[in-house]
Amino acid sequence: MIKFDNVSKRYADGQDALSDISFEVSRGEFAFITGHSGAGKSTLLKLILAMQTPSSGQLIANGVNLNRVSAKQIAHHRRQIGTVFQDHQLLHDRSVYDNVALPLEICGYQPKDAARRVRAALDKVGLLKKEKSFPEALSGGEQQRVGIARAVVNRPSIILADEPTGNLDPGLSAEVMNVFQQFQSVGVCLLVASHDAALIERLNCRTLVLEGGKLLADQKPRPLA
Amino acid sequence: MSATKRRTENPNHPRVKRNTRAGQTESFLDLVRLHRRVARSSASRLLQTPASTAVTLFVVAVALLLPALMFGLNSNLASLLAGFQESAQVTLYLKDSVSETDGQEVSNGLLTRIDIDFAYYVSPSQALVEFGASTGLEDLVIEMAANPLPGAIVLTPTDISPAAVEELARQLQELPQADMVQVDSLWLQRLAAISNLVSAIGSVLAVIVILGLFFVVGNTIKLAIESRKAEILVIKLVGGSDMYAARPFLYTGLLYGLAGGILATLLQGIVLATFNSNLEVLMQLYESDFQLRGFGLISSLLIVAAGAAIGWAAALIASLRHIRAINP
Repeated sequence: MIKFDNVSKRYADGQDALSDISFEVSRGEFAFITGHSGAGKSTLLKLILAMQTPSSGQLIANGVNLNRVSAKQIAHHRRQIGTVFQDHQLLHDRSVYDNVALPLEICGYQPKDAARRVRAALDKVGLLKKEKSFPEALSGGEQQRVGIARAVVNRPSIILADEPTGNLDPGLSAEVMNVFQQFQSVGVCLLVASHDAALIERLNCRTLVLEGGKLLADQKPRPLA
Repeated sequence: MSATKRRTENPNHPRVKRNTRAGQTESFLDLVRLHRRVARSSASRLLQTPASTAVTLFVVAVALLLPALMFGLNSNLASLLAGFQESAQVTLYLKDSVSETDGQEVSNGLLTRIDIDFAYYVSPSQALVEFGASTGLEDLVIEMAANPLPGAIVLTPTDISPAAVEELARQLQELPQADMVQVDSLWLQRLAAISNLVSAIGSVLAVIVILGLFFVVGNTIKLAIESRKAEILVIKLVGGSDMYAARPFLYTGLLYGLAGGILATLLQGIVLATFNSNLEVLMQLYESDFQLRGFGLISSLLIVAAGAAIGWAAALIASLRHIRAINP
């Protein structure tokens, strides 16, 4: 589903954000990316989302060669990916409902069908009662959950999340991970950047450890006792 | 409420059914509904900033009005010309040697020609009486010893085009009785030239105005895009195409053009009403009931349509250019 083949990313200022990264995440797989800040977690997610292009190596996600994509292909590619951004990226002049409905609107869903899906997604993150609120009126954790609802509303084939539990207390974190695992169980490929060691330990998923732009370790889940 | 509990209750938990996106719009009606919603939100955004919207609208309206007024003026001139041309006259002055009976005969002979609509003979004595009456010099005329005026035949050509009138004049000049042929159409030709000039000015002005409107609407759209940059960024991040992000701005441009066009036709009504009250006084002096005519329904609709088309096209160019430049 996502395949990095000796991928490097060098920024214009000569800084190597990622160097020689190779790994593959398949359908229905849940992988964490961990590492200190500046290790290249966000850059890695940006490459998959075609916000940046690799400097070298080959990157294929969802069957799309991301080394060479047109603007039109990028838009189509992003519609297949649900992304939870670290800074939420919500529209502040639209209600929670309209924020979550945005990906459906872009895909041209009928309002009635969209409403059903939006409410289901809001229900999953426990924000059904806040659908008429505006993002500014919500706490950081609630905004994050709106972002999560928006990421999953379109039933994407890949879910990317950048520190999705950064603002959430342990209880809510567990619920969000639960939502993610539901998607994993129906074949969605998940890549979650996080440095919440306790959470990673508890979920026992595959973990890619980045350091200084290099893939330090690719830890497989421990065999269940 | 625990997540596990909710999961069992919720019938809409995710299922991978990507090939059967039943919810996606297929019908034209849904598309219309979507566009109506975008249009409505664009309109309400314009109404949220009434002052700047009004300024832009006024600029668009005045820009559309200028060439429209020129074309309107030209069509008025053209209709005025047509009215005058119907009374285009050719005067054939006869030699002094031609007697009144001969003159009458020549006149009757000319009447049988196919290229002459009407002809009547004015004898020297008749001409003198008319001259006295029109100048108020009757007393002087009576005291004159000899009549200095020649006999003349006043003709109305069938074909009033300048070439035909000229050809007729040439042929009349060749008559043995002819002394001089005078065509009263020189000033008509001048008026026609002025009409052409006005039309040319209108065309040049229209080109300048279209360019100007592209800049005005384009710049307004550019500012609107700048102020909604964050929103466009998010739309692009979740997979919205440039065209999707541009759609509200296209409606903004369309609305500017449409409302500007309507305002322009209203303004021309005011301009014409002002002109006509002054013109009436002038035309009364010429004993004419000529009035400046407005654009009429078709022309007004054309102006509105032109405004809408220019606004939309300007918005399309500006928004695609600037939205393409916004990249996450």
